[in-house]
Amino acid sequence: MTNENRSTTDQILDLLLDALQERQSTRPQGDEPVLEPSAPLQSDSSPSATQPVAPAETLLPEDNPQPLDEEPQEDVPQTLEEEQDSVVETEAEAAWELALLKESTPPEPLPSIQLDKMLRRLAVAVGVIIILINIPFNRAGLSLARAMPDAQSLVIRDGLVLKGSGERIYVLENNQKRWITSLEAFEWFDYQWNQVNVVDDAFLDQFEDGRPLYVLLKCQGSPHIYALEDGQKRWIKDIPTFEAEGFVWEDVKFVNCGELLRLPTGTPIPPDAGPSPEP
Amino acid sequence: MRDLGVVETILRNRIHFFQEIRDGVGLGEKMRAMLISSLVFMALFGAVMGSTHSLWQALSSAAKLPLLFLATLFICAPTLYFFNVLFGSTQSLTQNVALILTAITVTAVLLLSFAPIILFFLLTTSQYQFFKLLNVGIFAISGVMGVVFLSQGMQIVAADAEGDSARRNVLRLWMLLYAFVGSQLAWTIRPFIGAPSIPFELFRQLGGNFYTNIFTSLGEIFGFFIVR
Repeated sequence: MTNENRSTTDQILDLLLDALQERQSTRPQGDEPVLEPSAPLQSDSSPSATQPVAPAETLLPEDNPQPLDEEPQEDVPQTLEEEQDSVVETEAEAAWELALLKESTPPEPLPSIQLDKMLRRLAVAVGVIIILINIPFNRAGLSLARAMPDAQSLVIRDGLVLKGSGERIYVLENNQKRWITSLEAFEWFDYQWNQVNVVDDAFLDQFEDGRPLYVLLKCQGSPHIYALEDGQKRWIKDIPTFEAEGFVWEDVKFVNCGELLRLPTGTPIPPDAGPSPEP
Repeated sequence: MRDLGVVETILRNRIHFFQEIRDGVGLGEKMRAMLISSLVFMALFGAVMGSTHSLWQALSSAAKLPLLFLATLFICAPTLYFFNVLFGSTQSLTQNVALILTAITVTAVLLLSFAPIILFFLLTTSQYQFFKLLNVGIFAISGVMGVVFLSQGMQIVAADAEGDSARRNVLRLWMLLYAFVGSQLAWTIRPFIGAPSIPFELFRQLGGNFYTNIFTSLGEIFGFFIVR
């Protein structure tokens, strides 16, 4: 087709196309230094700036997709870069971060977003909530923070005081439940009533019975040992009786003789042992 | 409360902040601000943790949690400093402490940001083991973020000195040491939450260790066994 045969509109369009292609061919050399895939990114560039190929291609008319002669030489590495996009981006981001971290002239400081005020409000709010949930709301002193039932939170450990549906109170020791034989024993070993956890009998049954917990008293100047029961001291006749009753030496507590003397005397162990000697 | 401004600088303009530490600009002021911010935030988080047990436990934990982090800092800081010096660092001990305080401040801020979550679970669940593990998880996340900041800070502050890669390895090992010391100290001055069936106690008897306790708590949560 010659120029004479073509319409004026076609000629104008061809001229425009030529101008467009010429501009396109000169663009990569001047405007876009960030196209080098291995070059570390500048602090004012962003990862999105590494993708100029697609916009450049869209500038070409659809009926003439091939760029000028120089164009393919520039386009080949760009296309490869796109194919390895994720790898290059990761490397570039890492390089950018490192460059940023070690940069001697830091980027401009970001403007304040009043984070200190936000933090202050959060701290005050948390403080107020802490106070509120710790205020008791009933006569028993229960507060919101501890209103949830703690049955699931029972930590099985030595010293845990348990009570089933019966009268007996036990204390756990070495995975065995030891019956606390008397109120004296309960108080002697410094247990508190608020430590007693009422549990199902099935829960108690999972523990073997250990030695019952007695209060056995002895004073330094006396050979006699007494068991404390019902507020009275009961003399234990001899060692065979002591052992037959299931007492052990580790449970014997040494007290002041005067303290022992002040306790009222109960029936001895065994009851037919005769009159109880004083310590 | 003006000291809270340091948190924004650390979180948003950390490069400036670390470069100022490197150049020794306003170190004392920065350290004071970070110390106050960390103390306040950790005390609040400690109080939230202890509230599950009793008011006394809340107060105790509010005092013990900042103590835990600061004591760990003072125990571990000389090691980091002298090993850095050994491998060519030109930083002063004050700069090292400032960097570690940055990590603690970041940890403290993140802990405070988790406080509403803890409060939510405190009011909606009573399972002690779950609550304990939730807190351990939150401490782990916040602690890791803190040491990431420390690592970045170290890179910037000691960028020009020789022996950079050796010091980076030293820092990695030191972070492990910091975690070990921190967890052991936490175990030593426990309880922070307080088991529901145990009366309040300022310090619990020594015995066991942090890791076996976490393992047994996991075991109970997943129903493998009961914690004894």
